[in-house]
Amino acid sequence: MRPIPPSPLEAESESADALSEGREGRVKWASMLGALGACGFATLLAWPLSGWLHPVNTAMLYLLAVALVAHRWGRYPAVLAAFLGVAAFDFCFVAPRGSFAVHDAEFILSFVVMLAVGLIISHLAEGLRAQTREARAQVRQTQAMYQLASTLAGALSPAQVQAATSAMAASQWPGPHTRTALWVPDDTSTLQPIAPDPDTAPTASRSAPGTWSANVLRAAQACYQSGHAQESSQLDEQAHSLLLIPLKGATRMRGVMLLAVDTRQQASLHGAVELTQALASLVAAALERLHFVAVAHQTQLEISSERLRSSILSALSHDIRTPLTALYGTADALLLVQPPLQEPARELATSVRDQALRLNHLVIKLLDMARLQSGHVTLKREWQPLEEVIGSSIQSLGSALQAHPVKVTLPGAMPLVNIDAVLFERVLANVLDNAAKYASEGSAIAMQAQVTPDAHWQLVVRNEGPGFPPDRIERVFDLFERGTLESNVPGVGLGLAICKAIVEAHGGHISAHNVANGAEVHITLPLGQPPSIEAEVSA
Amino acid sequence: MTSTLTQQAPLVLLVEDDPHIRRFVRSALESEGCRVAEAETLARGLMDAASRKPDLVILDLGLPDGLGHDFVVDFRHWSQVPVLILSARDSEEDKVQALDAGADDYLVKPFSVAELLARARAMLRRARQGTRMEEPVLSFGDITVDLARRQVTKSLEALHLTPIEYRLLCALLAHEGRVLTHRQLLREVWGPNAVESNHYLRVYVGHLRHKLEQDPAQPRHLLTETGVGYRFQR
Repeated sequence: MRPIPPSPLEAESESADALSEGREGRVKWASMLGALGACGFATLLAWPLSGWLHPVNTAMLYLLAVALVAHRWGRYPAVLAAFLGVAAFDFCFVAPRGSFAVHDAEFILSFVVMLAVGLIISHLAEGLRAQTREARAQVRQTQAMYQLASTLAGALSPAQVQAATSAMAASQWPGPHTRTALWVPDDTSTLQPIAPDPDTAPTASRSAPGTWSANVLRAAQACYQSGHAQESSQLDEQAHSLLLIPLKGATRMRGVMLLAVDTRQQASLHGAVELTQALASLVAAALERLHFVAVAHQTQLEISSERLRSSILSALSHDIRTPLTALYGTADALLLVQPPLQEPARELATSVRDQALRLNHLVIKLLDMARLQSGHVTLKREWQPLEEVIGSSIQSLGSALQAHPVKVTLPGAMPLVNIDAVLFERVLANVLDNAAKYASEGSAIAMQAQVTPDAHWQLVVRNEGPGFPPDRIERVFDLFERGTLESNVPGVGLGLAICKAIVEAHGGHISAHNVANGAEVHITLPLGQPPSIEAEVSA
Repeated sequence: MTSTLTQQAPLVLLVEDDPHIRRFVRSALESEGCRVAEAETLARGLMDAASRKPDLVILDLGLPDGLGHDFVVDFRHWSQVPVLILSARDSEEDKVQALDAGADDYLVKPFSVAELLARARAMLRRARQGTRMEEPVLSFGDITVDLARRQVTKSLEALHLTPIEYRLLCALLAHEGRVLTHRQLLREVWGPNAVESNHYLRVYVGHLRHKLEQDPAQPRHLLTETGVGYRFQR
């Protein structure tokens, strides 16, 4: 492999002619015969006129033949014609005729001038021909690029880009071995072939993906990573000369393009650096456009699916909550009717009400979890005293904590914390509820906060009781994981999972620990930069 | 409650689209001696509020034909009758908006009948009393606040409050039992330019709790309504 030096388009003209080896051979021989014929024809034409014409004028006919041959067949036939013409002129028209000997030394000058003029004509004609060829090739190239650009502008999929690229390559480097391939990076920056469009028939395309050896794929990956074009003929077992060009988009690398031509056309590929670069940037722009189209489409899809999800969630929460409210309220109203219900009926009504409330808690947790798991919960973080959130979480649990008084210990200089109060109240309520459920009878629950040396604050909730089951302590925050399986303690294992989701959404960490006679839950969050509260000027 | 009312039983307008909820709320209110008018939609509710002159409006925020917030704004243009909001748990913003617009209190669904009746009773009583504070001396727990002399005592010992703390306490006391949003309190205590500085309010409520409450982490009088504001209760 070697990097390609920038080189002008010098070899391009030859490449346009060098369509195929066999045809080129035939053309050469035909043109040589043509040179021979031209000289023969000039001789035949001059022969009958030799009586009237001065031999030097006869030479003009030969020069005309050389010019025509040069125009028609190019330099080497013309050179041949120049020599043949001098020879024929000498042999046929310069005394002694029928011999190459020259009596009059004056003719030596004629021969030299004739040969020189013939050679100059052939050279100039060849230059003209080359220019014409070059101009034609340029036109062809420009047309092909224009065609490619307009096809790419309308391409709707990477596969169409690929097809347009192969068509372009086939027109520029005609031959049975010309192939192209495009690779685009996936999410892990690994190059992948472009998948064919699902709606196109799987016709055997010349650029069918997946037919390249591992060597080629490795080189393509290297090219993608380095961003430099690479050329090689050693990578492929077949007689291919390969050119790998990185596709540089405006924002980042879009992939790698491979051009493979017959090894005999290598020079043409090598020479056409500007063409291949232009081709690569067109393809890169097309792929980039498709990428952004895909991104826009994906975003739209996500927005609409998110809209669907949240509307389902809110409809669900409304449709469940309304009958639950009616159920709970009706059962509750039954307990207040006058005259009061008789005892068994009253007990039943209480039971209905309590179960409705329990169902409500479950629904709330399920909806919370669904909302948190959708990953689109926006935190409304505000700076606030931790004490207030602790207080409101205790207040929200109400009678559930009656049997287990909570003792809160906060350091005097506890800074403000940056949390979403509503969500964090749920965290603390769930942790406290859990601590109360598994606490031994009549024991207190301790809540203790502190600032850690590594710019975090930590809240420890501690209860007295059996603690977490040691074999599952790592998993207590997993969804539907419960401390005691099949126990009579109510719950489905959602509470701590919700805590974990909320704490982690705040950039914090929650963990469970067993200590002597009980269990602890540690909640750790970064401190951040609390706003300063100016002290009030005391009146 | 009937005993404390004048001859005319108070009229409660219930704006709620679910018939089952309407049924039990009506039966509970009627058992308290209230008359109940029902409306299924906001539009109907507004018309009934204008024509029937209720003493209390109970408004569900989740009505299909509009935002409860707009109802409260419209209603407050011409009436100071108390409004109790029934809201879902996950619609803090709607709730706060309606409260900011002038609704007086809220209940989260599902709610207990006893809670509903207690709120309704308190609101009707306050409406009857008007906003004027009849007694210059208020006491709760071991705290006595003498509004005339601007003195606060705890267990008969004088307490020193800063001017902001005192203004905040007065604002809460003046709306006893009622939820005050962060915005309302900030406007009342700090002025209209401070309505975004929620953390100031929280810090000063914390100061008040440390001076007035037995256990500031488990307050009994200066209660937090998470995500909404504060409520003072005796």
